[in-house]
Amino acid sequence: MTADGRFVIALACWILFVTAPASAQPSGRSEPVDNATCLGCHADASLAIKAADGAGISLHVSENALAGSVHAKHACVDCHKAMAEIPHPAMALASKRTLTVALNEQCRACHFANYTKTLDSVHQLAVARGDRMAPLCVDCHGAHDVKKPSTPRTLVSQTCAKCHEGVAAAYARSVHGQDVSKDNPDVPTCVDCHHAHDIAGPHKTEWELRLPDMCGRCHADAAKMKKYGLSTNVLRTYLADFHGKTASLRRDQGTPVSGAVVARCPDCHGVHDIQKTKDPQSHVIKANLLQTCRQCHPGATGNFPGAWLSHYEPGLHKAPLVYAVKVGYWLLIPFMIGGLGLQILLHLWRLSGIR
Amino acid sequence: MIERAPRVQSVTRFSTLERVEHGAVMTLFVVLALTGFPQKFYDHRWAQVLTGWLGGVDTARWFHRAAGLMFGALLAAHVLRLAVSVVRRTTTLSMVPTRRDVADAIQTINYYLGSGDAPRFDRFDYRQKFEYWGMLLGSAVVVGTGLALLFPIRTASWLPGQLIPAAYVAHSQEGLMAFLVVIVWHIYNAHLNPDVFPFDASIFTGEISAHRLEHEHAIEYERLAQGATGMPVQTPDNPYRRLSWPVQLVVAPIAGAVFAMLLPALGMGVVVKAAFDAMTGRRTRRGQGDSQDRQAVARTS
Repeated sequence: MTADGRFVIALACWILFVTAPASAQPSGRSEPVDNATCLGCHADASLAIKAADGAGISLHVSENALAGSVHAKHACVDCHKAMAEIPHPAMALASKRTLTVALNEQCRACHFANYTKTLDSVHQLAVARGDRMAPLCVDCHGAHDVKKPSTPRTLVSQTCAKCHEGVAAAYARSVHGQDVSKDNPDVPTCVDCHHAHDIAGPHKTEWELRLPDMCGRCHADAAKMKKYGLSTNVLRTYLADFHGKTASLRRDQGTPVSGAVVARCPDCHGVHDIQKTKDPQSHVIKANLLQTCRQCHPGATGNFPGAWLSHYEPGLHKAPLVYAVKVGYWLLIPFMIGGLGLQILLHLWRLSGIR
Repeated sequence: MIERAPRVQSVTRFSTLERVEHGAVMTLFVVLALTGFPQKFYDHRWAQVLTGWLGGVDTARWFHRAAGLMFGALLAAHVLRLAVSVVRRTTTLSMVPTRRDVADAIQTINYYLGSGDAPRFDRFDYRQKFEYWGMLLGSAVVVGTGLALLFPIRTASWLPGQLIPAAYVAHSQEGLMAFLVVIVWHIYNAHLNPDVFPFDASIFTGEISAHRLEHEHAIEYERLAQGATGMPVQTPDNPYRRLSWPVQLVVAPIAGAVFAMLLPALGMGVVVKAAFDAMTGRRTRRGQGDSQDRQAVARTS
């Protein structure tokens, strides 16, 4: 579009503005502009400008999309504040992205908490690195057609899949992903684990340390697990084992982590491709378990996976040797300390002369 | 005999090597307990705080493993030293429990309960033998299981995998038991016992006063007094000395293990007996002998 063309549009907008009926103007606004005014020009599907890089930027706004969005009752100028001035002030746009980046700030005015959370996210790190394509609010939520982000729940992974295609495909085949497509409210979508706004980098320590609790939020929930016949012992048995103790102590010790990574839930069960443990594709089914152990213990041989009790509590039928040692010490320790303690008490009793 | 008592004020009881061994065990025990228990009790706040003070679980583990390897080396050196002395027949086997120790323990309990006198002891009394063997065998358990846990892949390459979680439980519980025995039995016998309060320093100085030796190890005291007068020193009576050395090497730890179990059993036995007495209507211990006789009479008639 030429400079002349832009001037014509701006002029048209200005004319629309000055002739708009006063009754449609919200009260208290210094420069009241109603949506009808804006749509007067922006409903035009061919309305567009050109960025400095030559790319066209459509300025068209679909009235239907706007009406169907959660912001239907808002005025255009609530977000596009600078556009309340008609004719619009000139903007120097290097690219279409420049406009998106500039408008992203507008979300903060209302959604302060979530906006602030995004500043801690891995996406913001990409922004800080200078990645112009790193996702901003509208890239996930949409712009004029912004809807409830998790209705239906499949929408979440579809949104993430716009960039994270491979991961989303693996998730879709996983035990969680298969059920989310049936709109099962129990299974996690991307944001249930990764969070929606303060998405931590998955290789960050804080993320790694909160993993067991993250899975435990559902897998230690008796009511939820009962529906699927799953044991809620998984978190407790993991935490009581070497891997889990290490993860817990690293989280709570209040010092930087210095040791090698320790296995957490997804290290064995898979990250996005988690399957039922009995599924032949599962990383933890017996046939695949040694291979899974070898990710961290490269020299492991056939007996090695037997060292892990598969989240079972030792008992007469499962790990009887471990159970025997456990019971043995339950008996031995009170016996030993009680037997010796009684002799000391008898000695003191004798010395005290009470008898 | 008493009028011929040696004029020396104190007697050397422990060699420098033995004192060093005790010092090393003591130090390593503290390090191992401090770095081990936060791992066992990982879900308690104090464990997390302590781990933080130690520089994190990974640092704590490094110290635990280093101290554990040193402890294992100390144990191996000690056992080797003793085995050599057994083979060369240069040890009197004075630490191996005998039937006499069982009798001494029972007599002591009876003495506590008010019948008879306290027994007289030789070089090591039954409490000390218990503690030594408990320590030695407990150390063997923690060192053995500790190595299995330090090298799980190697362990599982020739043993069933289930041994590793079993070793984990044994290591953790044996460590707890050792700690409790030290807190209860050793701290009592070496510190809180009114006979030695506040501190039996023999293992640090290597010396014991003639007065204490006479009081606590009367039989040894008499033997030493005999030697001081120029008379031939009696070899302490020990049935194990008659065995060949390979048999000694096998029997000594078995006797130690049996005795380590027997002593708490005697303590428990007192309770069981008191309960039994209460149930069968026997009231006083003083008339116990009579009532037993009466019962025996009743049974035969």
